Amino acid sequence: MIDINPDIEFKKEVKRLSNSSLNECMQCGTCSVVCSLAPDDSPFPRKEMIWAGWGMKERLLVNTDIWLCHQCGDCSTHCPRDVKPADVFSAIRQITYRHYASPKFLNTILSKPIWLPVAILLPVIVILSILFLAGTLEIPEGTVNYSKFFPHAWLNGSFGIITVIIYCFAISGLIKFRNDLKARYHDAKAQKGFYRRFMTTSNEIVLHSKFSTCSAQKSRKISHLLVFYGFILLLIVTGFAIIATLTHNYPFKFTNPVKIMGNVAGLMLVTGLGIMIINRLFNKINYGNSNYSDWLLIISFFLLVISGGIVELARFMNWYYAYHLYFFHLVCVWFVIFYLPYSKLGHMLYRTIAIGFAKAIDRK
Amino acid sequence: MAIPHSKPALIVGGGISGITTAVEIAEVGKEVVLIEQKPYLGGNVIKMNNYFPKLCPPACGLEINFRRIRQNTRIKYYTLTTLLEISGEKDNFSVKLRSAPQYVKDNCTACGKCVYVCPEERPDELNYDLTKTKAIYFPHEMAFPAKFSIDDRYCKKGSCNKCVEVCEYDAIDLSAKEEVFFLEVSSVVFATGWKNYDAGLIDNLHYSDFKNVVTNVEFERLIASNGPGRDNLIRPSDNKVPKDIVFVQCAGSRDENYLPYCSAVCCPASLKHALSIQEKYPDSRIKIFYIDLRVSGRNEDFLNKVEENRNIELIKGKVAKIEEVGDTKNLIVEAEDILSGKKIKHEADLVVLATGIVPSDATLNLNKDQNGFLTEIQKEGIHAVSCCKKPMDVSSSVKDATAAALKAIQLTG
Repeated sequence: MIDINPDIEFKKEVKRLSNSSLNECMQCGTCSVVCSLAPDDSPFPRKEMIWAGWGMKERLLVNTDIWLCHQCGDCSTHCPRDVKPADVFSAIRQITYRHYASPKFLNTILSKPIWLPVAILLPVIVILSILFLAGTLEIPEGTVNYSKFFPHAWLNGSFGIITVIIYCFAISGLIKFRNDLKARYHDAKAQKGFYRRFMTTSNEIVLHSKFSTCSAQKSRKISHLLVFYGFILLLIVTGFAIIATLTHNYPFKFTNPVKIMGNVAGLMLVTGLGIMIINRLFNKINYGNSNYSDWLLIISFFLLVISGGIVELARFMNWYYAYHLYFFHLVCVWFVIFYLPYSKLGHMLYRTIAIGFAKAIDRK
Repeated sequence: MAIPHSKPALIVGGGISGITTAVEIAEVGKEVVLIEQKPYLGGNVIKMNNYFPKLCPPACGLEINFRRIRQNTRIKYYTLTTLLEISGEKDNFSVKLRSAPQYVKDNCTACGKCVYVCPEERPDELNYDLTKTKAIYFPHEMAFPAKFSIDDRYCKKGSCNKCVEVCEYDAIDLSAKEEVFFLEVSSVVFATGWKNYDAGLIDNLHYSDFKNVVTNVEFERLIASNGPGRDNLIRPSDNKVPKDIVFVQCAGSRDENYLPYCSAVCCPASLKHALSIQEKYPDSRIKIFYIDLRVSGRNEDFLNKVEENRNIELIKGKVAKIEEVGDTKNLIVEAEDILSGKKIKHEADLVVLATGIVPSDATLNLNKDQNGFLTEIQKEGIHAVSCCKKPMDVSSSVKDATAAALKAIQLTG
């Protein structure tokens, strides 16, 4: 006997985020067959569709298969009832990281467009307060030097503290997610040692191998690779920059290898994000329904990279509005980096845990 | 009191519904004109191997109907004839009809000498183009009217003339022209029927790519004793008898991408096919993949009979992928077995797609619903009946046709 304890609010939220008419699913299993990633034994997404229709929240939030899906959209294209399993999976993933992430008010302000002003005001107020405390809350005179506006020590110190706080919350959410997975799949025995599990998981992520098995167009893999590696590269460059503010004369010259790396990463991100935006706008059949979270991430990320480039240019050109742009850029940084565990970018964390766990229980 | 001259009712379409409507009207003493665009009456049922649930052949019912037509002088029928226009109001319609050239005249005795001399071939529409006939051909064994026909897309006419030379009865006129004529009728009944959904449109089932993927209507011919394999069931790629056969229910049906509705006849039809195969080849193995088995009423007993057969397996789960095995031309069908939650990959000799019913192409500008079916009442005095109105099995069509006869009679004075 299956004990069904429907969570109607959960079901409504899935429907809202996915724009899917869940109950029209007739359980034919077309989706499970056309999915190139679904395993032969209890394939997805057919079973998840009926669980979603029945509001079985626990089964769906604590679930490896939700994260084995790479959103290629083959299931939605072939679905006889147009119930969009790919979008339903995407919605469940969003609900999952919202469920595990804390503090909850950060989830709330990022969940709906109506809260967007609050989501913007928060970083604006915090950054202005830091500038006030640093005593630099005014536009400096003379040639553009961002450290005159936001001293390096204050920037690195304050943003560093916020990063530590946010990611402590994130890690506690991830640990809870992993513990729940362990409890749910307690029958499954660990098949592989930690080292092999780690290697296969990171291999899969580094190579984006699952993307290639989806029969959707190539541009999805290319754009995601560009964004993924652009992002990693920029994180590395930022790390260098923080160290350089302590040891070297920062900012770097335009010809400095680290600077070149940063600019290449920026170009990779602009290209990748550009392809994603175009596909989401004009190729709805393969890309499915783009909801608020999709657009919030993709637009804030795009603005982050564009404003970063302009801020760099403004310094060389000695523009009057350089500091305003720099402030805008910092708000974008906040959106992408500090909102990461609560936004769609949270998939970087939760998917990694879920894929690693799937490897551990030998779920391919 | 003078009896007003009564105008006939016009029945468009000579399938089982049109024939039924025509004989029911005529047998209460009213005049009927029955037109059919093909050279023979009988429509789709003539191509059926048997009917569900009794597994009896359609021939006997048709035979009785053909006799009723032959014996009743009130029925006039025109084959190779289509309706071009309707004007006027109920009780007083004027219809414009077009008869294609009648190359073979009514004095044809069906002796068959012409076939031996004819050098041209045509794909046999009766067998869904799986076989060929000569350009001059006898449509099928029990063709009514019992005369030969010439397919003018393939006949070389006067430049060949061989059939004319050999015919002892002077029954062939290769210079025959089409005729357009007008009739005054009291009412019009559309019994234009159906065709099966175009399986080539369903991209993941590869009907157009793989030879051994056939439709359910083609299967009617393949298993029929007067079909391409004669007494044997054969598969198209190598004419061998398939022993492992898969039926794919809802091929295109109940699917927003293809045919959004359920035709309700494909489920009992596949059960019928499975039992017919078992009757002929008891060692064959059959799998029927379905979403839901839609069999109601007395067909449920029929389903019980199928379930008792150990060589027929009913699997809940839709086939969504078909691959061809290179050298054997066998097929691997893939579905999720919903009840066990495991993917099934099964290799079969022959795959039959249970395609649904779509209305025949209508030549006139008629009122249709969102799926292209004719609405029942086109205007007062013009009705649609049976499968051109909605999907139906044969027995429901016959009942609907009888009802349509009554409506037509009420207008014939």
